[in-house]
Amino acid sequence: MVRFKHRYLLCEVVSDDPRCRLSLEDRVLGGLIRDTIARVHGTFGAASCSIGFAVRYLNAYTGIVLLRCRKEFYQLVCSALPFVTYLENKGHRYPCFLNTLHVGGTIRTCQKFLIRYNRRQLLILLQNCTDEGEREAIQKSVTRSCLLEERSDEEELSDNGGEEAAEAMQ
Amino acid sequence: MMWSALEKMPAPATTYERIVYKNPSEHHYMKVCLEFQDRGVGLNAAQFRQLLISALKDLFGEVDAALPLDILTYEEKTLSAILRICSSGLVKLWSSLTLLGSYKGKKCAFRVIQVSPFLLALSGNSRELVLD
Repeated sequence: MVRFKHRYLLCEVVSDDPRCRLSLEDRVLGGLIRDTIARVHGTFGAASCSIGFAVRYLNAYTGIVLLRCRKEFYQLVCSALPFVTYLENKGHRYPCFLNTLHVGGTIRTCQKFLIRYNRRQLLILLQNCTDEGEREAIQKSVTRSCLLEERSDEEELSDNGGEEAAEAMQ
Repeated sequence: MMWSALEKMPAPATTYERIVYKNPSEHHYMKVCLEFQDRGVGLNAAQFRQLLISALKDLFGEVDAALPLDILTYEEKTLSAILRICSSGLVKLWSSLTLLGSYKGKKCAFRVIQVSPFLLALSGNSRELVLD
């Protein structure tokens, strides 16, 4: 069949500074990654990767980013991601790095992975949390996600994992 | 007599090993010449190397600007050189030399005279052969 095949890279923005994630914007991040590819792979890399490049999903609370690129050039994009060292917003520079979690062929596979990953992260958060109020909130989210897991065959897959993690963060 | 002696000898028990080289040489050698539009522009070896690396960096970025490139000989009068590059980087180097347009604002062009995986082949060029 003749269609353009893409690769979806699921990344996490990791930073010491808590303000870094809140200032995430899709256009700023997209421009930053394009500049990094141009620096690391030159004119050829910038041109070949920017045709199908897009930031498909961005979650400022958890710092999860979904990038799309063409299948033929996804290795150029993957190899340029470790060279992203800072995030610039309104004149402030926050040092950060991008952690690649998953590479998938479709948004659906990345979403399935993200839901499983968020459930595991909730359990890790439950172990590490110190405040009693936070502990109750996370336990509620964990039980809710278990119920949703049982019912997930009947329901359509929606972005519940992200929302639960966002509530747990707050 | 010899024939019967050979027939009686048992065949030696040897293990055969077949080694296939797809590319016999891991480096490629290029003879290039730099031509400027105006006369009277000189470069020393360090500036020439800087020019090559900046050409690679423009087109292919910092990753490929770090390809192991060597200048084996360089003549300042004729601005010609013999370069050595690993075989996987030959296409990248050649294309970046093709697309190099200027040095410090002056127009120039690289002429590729010979390319070979063997250095010995660059010693003779049948195009420059003078028949008496």
